[in-house]
Amino acid sequence: MIMSARGDGAAERVLAALRRRGAHLVGADEPAGGGTPVLWWDNGDYPGRSRVTATFTGGERRLVLDTGTLSVDLSRITAVWRSRPSGPQAAAAVTDPSHRAHAGLQAEVMLDGVWSLLDARWLPGRRADELRAHNKVFHLARAIELGFTVPDTTYTNDPAALADAYEAADGRLVAKQIASDRFQVDGVQHRAYTTVVTRRHLTSRHRVRHEPIVLQPYVPKAVELRVIVVGERVLAAEIDASGSRAARDDWRHYDNDRVRYAPHALPADVARRCARLVADVGLTYAALDFIVTPGGEYVFLELNSNGAWGFVELWAGLPVSDAIADWLMDELTDGRVNKLADERMDELTDGRVNKLADGGEQ
Amino acid sequence: MTDLAETLASGAALLRSLQRRRSGVADARRAADAWAARHRDANARLVVDRRPGSPVVDYDLLLDHPDGGTIALSAPPEDGVPWLIDHSTHWAAGHLVSVDGVHVSVPQALTMLRSLSGRDASPYQEIVDQCLLAAAGDDGEPVGAADLQATADEFRRGRGLRDRASTLAWMAAAGMSGEQFEAYIEGIARRRRFRREKEAELAQGHLAAAPGDFARVRAVWVTGAEKVVAGDVAELFGALGSVGGPGSIGEPGAVGDVVVTVGVRWESDLPEALRGAPPGRVVGPEQAPGGGFLTGAVLSRTPAVADAETLEAAGRAAFACWLAERRAAATIEWHWS
Repeated sequence: MIMSARGDGAAERVLAALRRRGAHLVGADEPAGGGTPVLWWDNGDYPGRSRVTATFTGGERRLVLDTGTLSVDLSRITAVWRSRPSGPQAAAAVTDPSHRAHAGLQAEVMLDGVWSLLDARWLPGRRADELRAHNKVFHLARAIELGFTVPDTTYTNDPAALADAYEAADGRLVAKQIASDRFQVDGVQHRAYTTVVTRRHLTSRHRVRHEPIVLQPYVPKAVELRVIVVGERVLAAEIDASGSRAARDDWRHYDNDRVRYAPHALPADVARRCARLVADVGLTYAALDFIVTPGGEYVFLELNSNGAWGFVELWAGLPVSDAIADWLMDELTDGRVNKLADERMDELTDGRVNKLADGGEQ
Repeated sequence: MTDLAETLASGAALLRSLQRRRSGVADARRAADAWAARHRDANARLVVDRRPGSPVVDYDLLLDHPDGGTIALSAPPEDGVPWLIDHSTHWAAGHLVSVDGVHVSVPQALTMLRSLSGRDASPYQEIVDQCLLAAAGDDGEPVGAADLQATADEFRRGRGLRDRASTLAWMAAAGMSGEQFEAYIEGIARRRRFRREKEAELAQGHLAAAPGDFARVRAVWVTGAEKVVAGDVAELFGALGSVGGPGSIGEPGAVGDVVVTVGVRWESDLPEALRGAPPGRVVGPEQAPGGGFLTGAVLSRTPAVADAETLEAAGRAAFACWLAERRAAATIEWHWS
């Protein structure tokens, strides 16, 4: 089962990869000769449009999902990929906000219970696993225990800690939020990107008491990495934002003309540690962020338990959708993904620039 | 309380009272000027720090110390806004436009300006079109070396960059590194590939739906300030010798100039007045779209056939329609402020 909102581009890519492996989408492209059935369902359809029923009678249990067009015996599901599920939504007819919230909570708890009974493999994990692993305080501690290099880090809402951290970092300090969330300033959506702390920021230290923040010394970077772990597979993309003023301190500004994306060959021990960390925090998938310093040190920043990978595939050419499809179909034994990644890396690093400047027409 | 302590306390009170928004800066300056007039010895000066990508501003008050030197006073109030939120930026800070959720940064837009076609469209429309094409063509398939080289060659030819030295000089002038140039060319190559494939995909259908647009039409028409009147084609040709007689000197291409065109066009590319006109019948004089008058006639018309040239033209027209539909359906948000 792909659990995701309709229109999710990542799910489309993985579905295409599954189809290349002989799978078919239930209710859309039923094959003549069998093949693995794939159900694409969004928990946002529940309880508004779908019905889920769990019955325990005579010592037997039945778990049934009725989407309105399909009736699915949930016990037959072998693997679940939580890509971008919307989260339970009450029917439009339920208009009172408190009633909608109540219905949403009942539905969430119901689904958590039903999912707990499935004998299925989960990617990245069940909702509770994702939430726990995504917590920066939790996974940073595990990363340290596994021997990753991490920046000195303070999580705090103590105003006094701001200037202390600033001085400890010799005035090269960054601040981040502990969890991303939406908020507005003057009625307009704002974002809290990684903030390079200046002396000006210290003058409003009293505001720190209102919510915790993450403080770390600014780590000099040769490149940043987004490492995608799918089961035992580890695919790394480097992000060189040094040419972009907008994205230099936080590549999520996506200034693509000035940011270079490319495959990155991780040292074997770092790759092994990445896979181990993801398994250790209870997941089968995660996107890990690193900085590679000019001295070649791999500094772990954070783990995103359902972190984006589309740009890694599109712009760095790494076959993440194939890796996910392989994992979901349990076909990870032929080394095909690593080979594809290696070939793509060779192709992308062959010094084409000089040839383009020289011209092929002369 | 000493004078200095009183001045500092009063200055802090002033700073805490100022509205920390760009829209409040003028009022803040007036309040600071009034305060400075009451504390002339301090030689006070309000300094406004406008944060990029945020409506929030910071204020400092510079004061002379009685014993010499400067005091810089900052006094952000406790207004209950958490620190990270106070230092956040607008979600589209540094972006010029968002098209269907794809954001274009100001540097990206400036890069796009280098490759605008100059066709009959505003730069705004072309930037939007490039976004739509970039999103549609971003299929993850690598661009082949030959395609990349052909794109680079065409790009260089278009700018008179005949050798490596001139290309590198152009890159230096544009502030592009080798890798950025490669990425830039790859983006153009990707859009070209998408366009080529889309045109090929749509050509047959477009031709079948509108074969009349792709008839080959031989026609003659004359435009100018003077009305040319003719009863038939022979008269029209006869009249051409006498139009544009002695008169005042005009700028090149001025409406007053007489322009005679004899050529073969696709039906849809003819001046509107001639489209669909039966061969041999004189049309006009009619108001010409660019000013002045048009008189002309279709000489012959060959119905459309699905040959390579016609399919190319149908593909181009179909693509223009496809792009116009995407543009009309797109969610476009400009971030001018």
